[in-house]
Amino acid sequence: MTVGAGSNPGAPTGLGVRPSRAPDPRRLTFLALALPAVAALALLIVVPLLFMVALSFRPDLRGELLSPFVPTLKHYEQVAETFSYWRLLGISAGMAAIVAFVATAAAFPLAYFLAFRAGRRAGLYLILLLVPFWTSYLLRVMAWKLMLGTEGVINSGLSSLGLIDEPLDALLYNRNAVVVTLIYVWIPFATLPILAVLGRIDIRLHDAAADLYSSPWQQFRRVTLPLAVPGLAAAFLMVFIPTVGEYVTPLLVGGTGGSMFGNIIQDFFVRAANWPLGAALSVIMLATTLVLVVVGLRIVKPRRLLGI
Amino acid sequence: MRSRPETLLRAAVVMCVMALIAACAAPGSSTSPTGGPATAGPATPGPTTAPATETPPDQVTGELLVLDWTGYDAADFWIDFKNKYANATATFEFGGSDADIYGKMKAGSQADVFHPYTGWLQFYVDEGMVEEIDTTKLKNWDKVPDSFKALGQFNGKQYFIPWDWGFSSILYRTDHIATVDSWSVLLDPKYKGHLSMWDDGPGAVTVSSYIHDYDETSITDAQLAAIKAEWTAQAPLNKTYWAAETDLIPLVQSDEVWAAYAWQGAYATLLGQGVPVAYANPKEGRNSWVGVYGIRKGTPNLDLALRFLDEKLADATSTNLPALYYYGSANSDVMGAITDASLKAAFGIDDPSILKTTNFTPNLTAEQRDAWTAMWTEVKAAQ
Amino acid sequence: MSTGRRPRSGLPRPRLPALRGFYWLMLGLLYLPIVLLFVFSFNSNTTLSFPLRGFTTDWYEKLFATPALLGSIRNSLTVAVGSSVAATVLGTMLAILLSRFNFRGRNLVAGLAILPLLVPYVVLAVALLVLFTVLGVDRSLLTVGVAHSIVALPYATLIVLARLIGSEPQLEDAAMDLGATYPGTLRLVVVPMAMPAIVSAWITAFTVSFDEFALALFLAGRDQTFPVYLIGQLRFAQSLPILISAAVLLMTGTLTLIVIADRIRRR
Repeated sequence: MTVGAGSNPGAPTGLGVRPSRAPDPRRLTFLALALPAVAALALLIVVPLLFMVALSFRPDLRGELLSPFVPTLKHYEQVAETFSYWRLLGISAGMAAIVAFVATAAAFPLAYFLAFRAGRRAGLYLILLLVPFWTSYLLRVMAWKLMLGTEGVINSGLSSLGLIDEPLDALLYNRNAVVVTLIYVWIPFATLPILAVLGRIDIRLHDAAADLYSSPWQQFRRVTLPLAVPGLAAAFLMVFIPTVGEYVTPLLVGGTGGSMFGNIIQDFFVRAANWPLGAALSVIMLATTLVLVVVGLRIVKPRRLLGI
Repeated sequence: MRSRPETLLRAAVVMCVMALIAACAAPGSSTSPTGGPATAGPATPGPTTAPATETPPDQVTGELLVLDWTGYDAADFWIDFKNKYANATATFEFGGSDADIYGKMKAGSQADVFHPYTGWLQFYVDEGMVEEIDTTKLKNWDKVPDSFKALGQFNGKQYFIPWDWGFSSILYRTDHIATVDSWSVLLDPKYKGHLSMWDDGPGAVTVSSYIHDYDETSITDAQLAAIKAEWTAQAPLNKTYWAAETDLIPLVQSDEVWAAYAWQGAYATLLGQGVPVAYANPKEGRNSWVGVYGIRKGTPNLDLALRFLDEKLADATSTNLPALYYYGSANSDVMGAITDASLKAAFGIDDPSILKTTNFTPNLTAEQRDAWTAMWTEVKAAQ
Repeated sequence: MSTGRRPRSGLPRPRLPALRGFYWLMLGLLYLPIVLLFVFSFNSNTTLSFPLRGFTTDWYEKLFATPALLGSIRNSLTVAVGSSVAATVLGTMLAILLSRFNFRGRNLVAGLAILPLLVPYVVLAVALLVLFTVLGVDRSLLTVGVAHSIVALPYATLIVLARLIGSEPQLEDAAMDLGATYPGTLRLVVVPMAMPAIVSAWITAFTVSFDEFALALFLAGRDQTFPVYLIGQLRFAQSLPILISAAVLLMTGTLTLIVIADRIRRR
């Protein structure tokens, strides 16, 4: 048993508190914290995941869904033979990386503003940033299309001003539109984990930094930025991971050429009734995303940047 | 000593796997998702219920669950049932496509009644998911033309009752395109950026087989490869694919799309908005589809389900279909009484030659379904 | 950047207007489509297109005569409140666990906590549908709520974890030295310290649930949430303006509440 109550997660396990015979309150706390969440995750994520893996080896959807079947690799073979799926997976991961990077980068100044410059209204300002998301995304995108379409407000405006002859076609129904829309959607959410770390920074640290370093830029780089790293990492992951499998936004603004990998999976489930193939694609996407995240964390090492 | 949480987690995983295995080992048990044996067959006994005609309507109670397409829960679509059976209710859950409805039925939907379309019927019969319908219990059955009745018959038995129908053809803006006489306009590079195809694999196979005169019921591998190449080349010509009519209508209205695969509902809506549109009668013929209702095998609400289907065919509900939503009704009395000009145009009521050349959607086999939908997904993935 | 209290002479002051301007620009972009929807909710045409036809309040009148719509909004609020509270509580517990305890399998738990982000909603929806069928659980708002809790859990965990990880332990040590029990220390020191992040996590979880339809479409059964109702109605153009008016009313109501709450707080 190596449960430690230290605040330093990087400490070697040997430093953990050894259990005595009497019930250790820290151990009880540990169990009380761990059991509900782990049980919920086991039942509601691990079991569905196992079901998905099992489904991907099922020959087809015929028969009962939970009946025994002879496992087959044919869906994985079909995916392996289809170059366009792999190409699309690469494109989707690339798009997700761009979206997560830009959204995190753009969210940082927002979080900085809310943490240090918004004063007592910070709470209000934060909520104002999130409330638009309580209005249906479908309706908001419809309104955007009204602005961006070839006959939309922007094009009519530009052409009536004589700035363009032909309507700009590139504003909607392509991959760039998907990337821009996703960044726009994610920025407010990416602000939250960054704000969570910045809000923790003691204002006296800034004063101390002002004494130590010559320029505000150096203070920022040496003090604020390193402290913000866990928040930036959390924001990046929070955007990157789900974006690899995104399907709603490409469906709404991607047009014919803007599909992402998530659309393919979605199609095999709800438009093709070929769940086994969809499950195989999901397994491949999940594995790829996990590998990318793990490799990414190995390279970037946010904790080392923190010095812990 | 192994840390406690890991042990617990492992135990939890093992237990869950065991639960899954236990469930697998007991197919056909009461918890089985499809609620019935997976074997189809002529040995299936016919429905046994009390005659639907004898109970007074206000003594009929119960709650019927209907798995329908999004939007079909509108009371207009089941107004006769609602008015007649004051003490019974119908509630709805939704599917977004035929595949979705089939999938939800497979995953254990407890819906008593479901609403597939022609093309997607055979699997339900083959897999024993649908109850045979005793049409003698349906008072409105005589209003349905025999040609429609036949679409719901398999192995000599009535498994589905037809309800709504319509066309697929090319909708086009007359201010940009003078006339359209072939499905091939959807593949014409001249209209690059102003076309819109329905986002559907079997739909694309259908269009190609009309153009090239393929036999739609026996598409060969070589033909499917050619179809895939054809639509891969077509993809960049689209403004976008459309998935629901509400996607398509504003695109045509705002002059962004000039020619599109479309159902007659979109045509009638746009005509009503004063948009200069026409609905083609291509030389290859239009496509026609029919929506049907089936009753889930093993439903405990068979009697109520039959009453529901009967009232679906009654006059007020059937009149609402064309009048409010521009869909054809299987009730021929109602269709014969239509006077509205744009509806007459949409359904080709004054032009019997249209129906003569119309192609009806044949039923897919499971193999065709999987091959054609995969073909379409690959077309989309390659963009 | 300095806090502005001790500016060094000769060095450029940080450009505050740029930060503030960026915030308002973002806010403007976020509210622009909502303003458009507001305008269209009073337009007499049924389609969302220019030019505007004429002023009407019909859609709002029809909205209040549509009990199914109002019921679906109530359902969505119920699900969002329930699932966001569950996700926030579990997420906070996980964040404390991952930041304050050192144990074998820690990485495994961390991985489990972000796993829901990795599984496509449609796959999760199908798997949960089968799981609930096997367990004999009827589909209802509860099953949607359970699904929403699990997909919101990683967001809640990450936001609270970002605040707790690497924070200074002195206060906790001090509390322990003063004789507080460990659970007491968590309650008196750690949770209050994380509170702003916990509130953010709750708002995020609420937002994740309130506009979610992929899981709800599979798991709601006969109880419709607002997004499910909306997708159903969107199939036919006639009901679009009523939906828009509902969304606008919801938004206006929320904003009014927020402003009132802010006024009261600042008084």
